[in-house]
Amino acid sequence: MKGIFSVLVENKDGVLSAVSGLFARRGYNIDSLAVGETERHDVSSMTIVSTGDQRTIDQIEKQLNKQVDVIKVRRLEEQRSIMLEMMLIRVSYTPTNRASLIEICNVMGAHIVHLSQKSMVIEIHADPETIGDFIELVRSYGILEVQRTGTISMTKV
Amino acid sequence: MNGAQAMVKCIEAEGITRIFGYPGVAIAPFYDALYDSQQIEHILSRQEQNAGHEASGYARISRKCGVCVTSSGPGATNLITALATAYADSIPIVAITGQVDTNLLGRDVFQEADMRGATKSFVKYSYLVKNADDIPRVMKEAFHIASTGRQGPVLVDIPHDIQMAELKKEFVYPAEVNIRGYKPNLKGNAQQMNKVIAAINEAEKPLLVTGGGVILGNGEDLVRSFCEKFQIPLVHTMMGIGVMPKAHPLYFGMLGNNGKPYANRAVANADLLIIVGARIADRAVPKPENLERSLKVIHIDIDSAEIGKNMGPTLPLVGDVKNIFRSLLEADIDIDTSNWIGQLERIKRDTVDHRKFSNRLVNPMLLIQTLTEKMDDDAIYVADVGQNQLWSADNYVMKHGRFLTTGGMGTMGYSIPAAIGAKISAPNTQVVCVCGDGSFQMTMNELATAAVNHVPIKVLILRNRFLGLVREHQEKNYGRRYSGVQLHNYPHFNCIAAAYSMDYVECNDNDSLPEKIEQFLSWDRGCIMVCNIAEENITV
Repeated sequence: MKGIFSVLVENKDGVLSAVSGLFARRGYNIDSLAVGETERHDVSSMTIVSTGDQRTIDQIEKQLNKQVDVIKVRRLEEQRSIMLEMMLIRVSYTPTNRASLIEICNVMGAHIVHLSQKSMVIEIHADPETIGDFIELVRSYGILEVQRTGTISMTKV
Repeated sequence: MNGAQAMVKCIEAEGITRIFGYPGVAIAPFYDALYDSQQIEHILSRQEQNAGHEASGYARISRKCGVCVTSSGPGATNLITALATAYADSIPIVAITGQVDTNLLGRDVFQEADMRGATKSFVKYSYLVKNADDIPRVMKEAFHIASTGRQGPVLVDIPHDIQMAELKKEFVYPAEVNIRGYKPNLKGNAQQMNKVIAAINEAEKPLLVTGGGVILGNGEDLVRSFCEKFQIPLVHTMMGIGVMPKAHPLYFGMLGNNGKPYANRAVANADLLIIVGARIADRAVPKPENLERSLKVIHIDIDSAEIGKNMGPTLPLVGDVKNIFRSLLEADIDIDTSNWIGQLERIKRDTVDHRKFSNRLVNPMLLIQTLTEKMDDDAIYVADVGQNQLWSADNYVMKHGRFLTTGGMGTMGYSIPAAIGAKISAPNTQVVCVCGDGSFQMTMNELATAAVNHVPIKVLILRNRFLGLVREHQEKNYGRRYSGVQLHNYPHFNCIAAAYSMDYVECNDNDSLPEKIEQFLSWDRGCIMVCNIAEENITV
């Protein structure tokens, strides 16, 4: 199962490494991790997505709570949360397949942010599943580079 | 006031009178400030790891935070094993390490080690102090975090220049701490408490399993009273030795693969386990999943992350052992366990010990039994690691004393420095340290610390000229291919005793054992007793 954790932490040195170290030490998997400052300078927000069985996901929540620099841990449910991530992807094209690639972008709501002779950089922000689909759709064109921000998440209400 | 002086003031404000350590250039300003302290006595260890274990022994007996101090680089890295040991056993320690000047951090200069990074998974929390004015807050928080909730070691790494820097603000040791992310739950949820009481009322065969957390939480008396009031029998883990005397009618031994078979059968026959302050690790319950299916489990712990980590509880209850058992003592519980206790007594009586012991030399089981029967009622027993630890845990006759060992990390060489720390904390209490000839040699240099500071510990060495537990493992699992386990005939222990002005006695047979133990226990000076045992003796 998937565990989505929205974690408020002290914004100071060593906290990110404490949290990621916790995952490494106990053998938990990190699917994605996104960190940024909140509206308060001394508090950062992390969204951590992990997979594991029920016991593992429960343990992750408890171990996160145990960290002194972790202020609050919230477990988010996929259905009741907005999950978004952004991706930059560089895809190669030829004169013959360029139009179909642009069409895919239009249908999927992706934007071409840079165009060069043989490749384009496409930006897409969507839920992680759609981003996965988009990668599959453009795979045959030739993916040169991928950068993903990691999922950020918020409950709907 | 400079940073170093502020650190000393903070330690004084915590009421600490003894610290253990080893100086070096990077911590020299602190040692200079310590020179002026009327309150704090510094005990110079002979290696930094031992300073950490001494602080551990001191903390466990004083039931306060232990403090140890080292320099930077190798001095600090030497301490890591002691921190890992304290972390695994949840012992409250504040460890202060010197660090290179802040402008040199990260440049790999002489004696620089990234201590925060190196100890990340072995401390409850750590600080690298970058501003002298942070010292009062950091020290207050360090002591608070180490000694509250689930206790453990906290590292304060403090660069040399910060120790030298003048505080810009006036020194005030904070009265309170406020850490947003650290609020240990002590009370125990009332709704959960009601469920626990209901589960106990429904049980026919309840069994209490105590771990080290009961002792760390000073809950021995309350837990024992609870067992007595509702007639609930008790078994314990190795770290949970010391809640109930061995002669108590509700006492059914130590569980686990090094414990009593009848304690394990008690667990297998129970319909409700009440686990208190134990993590239920592999040595206590090898296959917890088998138990989960057959019985109900209440798991009481101050650390919510312990609950469900190794065993899925049906009923978790998070809180301080004293608070919880104070409530449980007043709870409306009405159960009749007389049949169950009768069954356990039969199990205990009918369980035959199949272990065979050599007729040669001293029988280690008899040794531990005789020793602990003859020791003072309130004596402190410090067991090392190896066969000596397992025989100790198995045969220790608990009266009203304390049993100290490292059950979590299993660090060889723990017993001598821990016994020194314990004896310094309780100078009028008999302290006996029991180790093997292997573990003794890991920290025997610490006997100098004992001699210099007039700390008369009693060291009993079970000598079989082997690393006995590894040898036993090789005998059972590696076809008797004894690889790298021979200690041979060194050292001459009588010479070691003489070297440190200790009295000495040696025993080679069971007949003279009682008399020699009495002699060993009667000496006022520090003393060593060597009991030669046959290497073929096994623990399980």
